[in-house]
Amino acid sequence: MYATGKIENRKWKMEFVAGIGKLWQAIREWSGDAAYETYVRSAGRQHAGQVLSREEFYVEQLKRKYSRVSRCC
Amino acid sequence: MKRLLAIVVWVTVAAVGAIALTTIAWHRGEPINATWFVLAAACCYLVAYRMYSTFLAAKVLALDNTRATPAERHDDGRDFVPTNKWVLFGHHFAAIAGPGPLVGPTLAAQFGYLPGTLWLIAGAAFAGCVQDFVILFCSIRRDGKTLGEMAKAEVSKRGGTIAQLAVLAIMIILLGVVALVIVNALKSSPWATFTLAMSIPIALLLGVYLRFLRPGRVIEASVIGVALLAFAVVAGQWVADSPAWAAKFTLGGVTLAFALIAYGFAASALPVWLLLAPRDYLSAFVKAGAIFSLAAGILLVRPQVLMPPLTRFVEGDGPVFAGKIFPFCFITIACGAISGFHSLISSGTTPKMIQREGQARFIGYGAMLLESFVGVMAMVAACAMTPGVYFAINSPATVVGATPAAAAATISSWGYPVTAETMASLARTVGEQTLWNRAGGAPSLAVGMAHIFSRTIGGERLLSIWYHFAIMFEALFILTVLDAGTRVGRFMVQELLGRVWKPIGRMNWYPAIVLSSALIVAMWGYFLYQGVIDPLGGINSLWPLFGIANQLLAAVALVVATSILLKMGKLKWIWVTLSPMAWLVVVTMTASYQKIFSGNPRIGFLSYANALSAQIVAGKIPAAKINEMQRVIFNQRLDAAVTAVLASMFLVLLVEAIVDWHAILARGKEAKLHETPYVATQWAEGD
Repeated sequence: MYATGKIENRKWKMEFVAGIGKLWQAIREWSGDAAYETYVRSAGRQHAGQVLSREEFYVEQLKRKYSRVSRCC
Repeated sequence: MKRLLAIVVWVTVAAVGAIALTTIAWHRGEPINATWFVLAAACCYLVAYRMYSTFLAAKVLALDNTRATPAERHDDGRDFVPTNKWVLFGHHFAAIAGPGPLVGPTLAAQFGYLPGTLWLIAGAAFAGCVQDFVILFCSIRRDGKTLGEMAKAEVSKRGGTIAQLAVLAIMIILLGVVALVIVNALKSSPWATFTLAMSIPIALLLGVYLRFLRPGRVIEASVIGVALLAFAVVAGQWVADSPAWAAKFTLGGVTLAFALIAYGFAASALPVWLLLAPRDYLSAFVKAGAIFSLAAGILLVRPQVLMPPLTRFVEGDGPVFAGKIFPFCFITIACGAISGFHSLISSGTTPKMIQREGQARFIGYGAMLLESFVGVMAMVAACAMTPGVYFAINSPATVVGATPAAAAATISSWGYPVTAETMASLARTVGEQTLWNRAGGAPSLAVGMAHIFSRTIGGERLLSIWYHFAIMFEALFILTVLDAGTRVGRFMVQELLGRVWKPIGRMNWYPAIVLSSALIVAMWGYFLYQGVIDPLGGINSLWPLFGIANQLLAAVALVVATSILLKMGKLKWIWVTLSPMAWLVVVTMTASYQKIFSGNPRIGFLSYANALSAQIVAGKIPAAKINEMQRVIFNQRLDAAVTAVLASMFLVLLVEAIVDWHAILARGKEAKLHETPYVATQWAEGD
């Protein structure tokens, strides 16, 4: 009885931690914090071979983002 | 069993929604609780999402999850980035929701709470969400093409050019009018001016941090930035309390207008990483936080709505802006019900990031429902204050009287009692010098929000902090639209002029950058300046102009969508986009006609110009003011011309589209659809 309770408790804790991790990852992706990792992983980039540094990618990405309508009324 | 349960749940949701709607519609006399608004809106949205959007997805658009989306086919980690649907929802929502759904409903509250609330809910469900969803779908099927490119391919070549010009025109008017909202919020308020001014050095600091110290670490930079910004809100009080500093930050309308124009130019001409991008990061976090806390505040406090369902101004002589409910309620509330600007986001970044076609329903239709909900909350916040106070804040001096005593007497005589003392003490508690004549929506919404927040945390003591927090967040919102819009406008100008003279189109040639930035800033700056010097308060002429432009763009998007549906062989379901389009045509054409030709000088641009000329001829204008009046007269005629040009551009597009529809339907012309060919997805089922 006691043992199963403990296991369930631990399982619940693990799920909670995993959930927070997912939420954190979602916020990172939403805000653009994870953009570089996404770029490095992306299929097209892997075909192309060469890779920009984090800094180069950041500047280049901003230029692209703000050259089209990105914010609305 | 499960099916039965679902039926029971949905019938309950629909019933609760119907009861709540009936309650707010038939309620008279006593104040009504804001909970009814939240319930009515939430239930209607749930039913609309469950029923109507499912119908659109299955029958009309036939979304196909086996079809590879642009994000899968072109995944490059830059533009085409397959993105989790919840993340993309947040991304799309942050892009579409700006100051519009906050300002529009606040201004439309002069008709009472009912017309605006009903239009927000119904407009979103049957028009705004449909537009966003269908355009997103069309763009996904065309490798993320923009609205202009789709208009060119599916309607006509001229249609594409018209769409492009319409976008530029609406951008210019939009930037002018939102800048005017900031000016009216900061005018003679050292606290708010200081806080907003501080956001610029904070952004520069973050820009350097993100570029050189910790490239791309957006979250940690934003946390630092938000903390500094919160400090700037508090420090603003010290500035306001010190006579020497307060004097430095107490600025008039014209000075503020030129400061904003200079800011817009800098944001467009400087590298993006230095000013624009870090400001945008800050604003995104503040935006998410503020909208969430407004919702939480309304649910916790459940304020009473003191504004009556309908005011005496439904007949058209409202002090905030003139004109009857039809068409002006539907023009004033564009964002939150239907906003043409959204079609640019739906055919911009979002279609390049979506993983499955099926998710277009959640993202396109769902995000717009959420924006509409923000609009309803803004309506609640504006209507939760005493109507007399609402009118005192939002009425221009020329309509109600220049002194507090005279204005209070006029407003009270309308049946909305308010006294000069009430306004003076309210201004003191929120830390402002005056709250009279602050049209534009931002200060009244901030007063409403501050009351709601202070009843959750802090009480009276923190009222002034909450007020300035609300002003800061609205102004930050608007600055983001202003700088991002100026930059995009600059690219549009460069592209258009580049067709005439090649070098100007070179995006990294410095003289071209400076010239085109100056041009775009001068254009919206002109509208801003005319709003600042307009004796009727500027908002009265500029906000309807913006609403007309925005709704015309929505009509353009719906024409394109209707053409595409027709060519897809969906004649049976064509009313889905055709009826909101027809409604918008009726609304925008009536409004344009009235704004140009109405004999009432407060509505018609031309009759206002004529009335002012007559005053000059009759010698009623002091000699020193004649030059300024001449300028106002010219501006009114310019506004009339702009309205006429926009309306006729749209009519040309509409006629071209109708000729094309007729050719397909009656003469059997081949309906050539320009979709990218079907490619099966390589991804496993499920997300």
